[in-house]
Amino acid sequence: MKKSKIALGVFLVGALTAAVGCGSGTSGSGGNGTGANGGGSSTNSSTKQTITFLHWRGEDVPTFNKIISEFEQKNPNITVQMQVIPSDQYIAQAQANLTGSHGADVFTSFPGAEFTAIAKAGLYTDLSGQAFIQDYNSNLLGSGQQDGKQLAVPYQVVFNMPVYNQDLFSKLGLQPPTDWNGFLQLCQKLKANGDTPIVFAGKVSAGQFFNDMVMNNVPDPKVFTGLLDGSSKLTDSGFLKTFQQLSELAKKGYFQNGPLGTSQDAATAIFAQGKSGMLALGSYQITPVNKDNNSAFKMGLMAPITTDSPDQAKYVGIDTTTFMLGVNAKSQHKAAAEKFIDFLSQPDIAAEYANGTSQMVTVKNVNYTDPALKAMEPELTKALRFQPMYTLTNQQVVDAVTNTVEDVISGTDPTAAAEKGQKAIDQALSQK
Amino acid sequence: MKTKKSIYLFMIPGGLLFLVFFAVPTIYGLSLSFTNWDGLSNGFKWVGFSNYVNLFTNDTTFHQAVGNTLKFVVSVVIIQSFFSLVFALILLRNTKVNVFLRTLYFFPTILASVSVAFIWTFIYDPNIGILNAVLKIVGLGHLAHAWIGDPTMVIYSLAMAEIWAHTGQLLIIYLAGLQQIPVEMNEVARIEGASRWQIFWKVTWPLLTPATTIVVAYTTIQSFRAFDLVYAMTNGGPGSSSEILATYIYHQAFQYNHVGYASAVAMIFMVVIAIITMLQFGILRFRKSA
Repeated sequence: MKKSKIALGVFLVGALTAAVGCGSGTSGSGGNGTGANGGGSSTNSSTKQTITFLHWRGEDVPTFNKIISEFEQKNPNITVQMQVIPSDQYIAQAQANLTGSHGADVFTSFPGAEFTAIAKAGLYTDLSGQAFIQDYNSNLLGSGQQDGKQLAVPYQVVFNMPVYNQDLFSKLGLQPPTDWNGFLQLCQKLKANGDTPIVFAGKVSAGQFFNDMVMNNVPDPKVFTGLLDGSSKLTDSGFLKTFQQLSELAKKGYFQNGPLGTSQDAATAIFAQGKSGMLALGSYQITPVNKDNNSAFKMGLMAPITTDSPDQAKYVGIDTTTFMLGVNAKSQHKAAAEKFIDFLSQPDIAAEYANGTSQMVTVKNVNYTDPALKAMEPELTKALRFQPMYTLTNQQVVDAVTNTVEDVISGTDPTAAAEKGQKAIDQALSQK
Repeated sequence: MKTKKSIYLFMIPGGLLFLVFFAVPTIYGLSLSFTNWDGLSNGFKWVGFSNYVNLFTNDTTFHQAVGNTLKFVVSVVIIQSFFSLVFALILLRNTKVNVFLRTLYFFPTILASVSVAFIWTFIYDPNIGILNAVLKIVGLGHLAHAWIGDPTMVIYSLAMAEIWAHTGQLLIIYLAGLQQIPVEMNEVARIEGASRWQIFWKVTWPLLTPATTIVVAYTTIQSFRAFDLVYAMTNGGPGSSSEILATYIYHQAFQYNHVGYASAVAMIFMVVIAIITMLQFGILRFRKSA
């Protein structure tokens, strides 16, 4: 009897430890053993140094390998070790990596909540005085700034607007609409033709598509960020209008069957089959769609305009500056790390990266040779709004907003969903 | 006296492992639950019981996660235990077909959770998934669903994937239990005129108590701790309709940087598991002695 009690006790403690492990593991787990080769804090150029470069874009590895080899040729005393963590696990794992004693020297971060958390923990080296800052478009550097300091340098520009099938639009005589009624009519025409108007990709589109829908309904950024201090509510008119419009799209059957159960890959595949008008993701999906359909049709970017008339629309789309390069404040090789970022910031290297990965960059004077990038270049001159969701620096609030969108799409009454979402936000704010 | 000393000596390595890998993290986790540590900064504030008070009085997502966890665990424990027993009874005889089928049922057990998640995400896809396609082919198209995209259905859809992944493991436990029952007992019952159902209910089922105890306790703890499958398939969504305690701990600790708060959830989680497991052992022990 006693033995079984002891065995039960041990078993229970095991279960407990597994549960508690989440809480206790972060404090000291940091280094994953693959960080910089430690040893010495020397930044002397004659000393052989190895720096680690941590990011989430596995698809960029071949291009980065090429760029890193060029960097190593020019800087024979510096070796760059690249580490890639998939984007869906990046936030948790990268933060654990950075808190360790041998965390990455150069690392990337997402703007918004992740950037704020890392900045708050003092893990960024201030890059304000670096010469390479001049290589960037100054109006695209804001997402890496805090308290007047340039803590990280956003390297990529992404357009978070639906990708649309230009050939299908031409075939049906459709033009990108300039107001809400026009958008509804467009969706109806696509549906009447037997096409899916909007392909939605579950969790990802919930945030991305909401950005487009809300940009003109809540044009004042202070109202949006007011969610963070309680000065505005998810039940306010602009947000509520957005939820009602999303609900209208869902109820009229303008999304494909089961939008919330569709993965990003499946959504991309459905769109690439050519039987749908829009893919509610962003410019980053143009390359995968092209790959899936052997460049069978032309694509453009188009955000839904939610206002009653075109002149009420302040913005025509959304952009994001992301893939923010930073230097770990705990790095023992800061000079080498900054040298690497300096190298990436040179227009010819940034062009090599951009054209190799089909990503637009924030660096000035870059020559885009990739046809998809060339076609997207004019977007930069349009009235774009920085992705509102990235201005929310509390991830719990971001999730509350996203969950509200999902609730609306799954059929919850918009007012009830907004109230539920606001309750979650209030709870998040009380956790400060 | 000498024997007692040597007993203690032999206990040292195990005791040390227990201390380092179980006791210390547990106490550390408990102490963190009284702080507001964000997981990144060097300092943190002692907040007393406020994390616990917040959880019980204010946190609707936590309440939803508790409900979802219970729905998930109950579905998994009942269905998984039932099917593993049924399959074990069917596959008890050592024929070639049965050996092949046992291997087939055991196969999902060796797959990594991420692979299971990938397979089932594809099966459940409302547009290109196999499940809806099969339902349409057999004339049950009206049952087609957005399995993991429907808030009312998602937790049970995840439970099905979990059941598929682990039934083979429990099947082996039941097979071992069944093989330990002397053949003569069934023979005698049959000679006495007992029906198949009576033999199962009066002979086999009582003798399977040890196996059932292991199966139920193991399944309960395993399904309480389910994380990877839910994380990979829905990450708690749509909305928070599939948020379970394990994913909630993860979200609080690693996405919201509320490590102290997450530790409080983990502590409550541990207490719930402990109580339920003890109750189960109590009930099953009572059944054994009855």
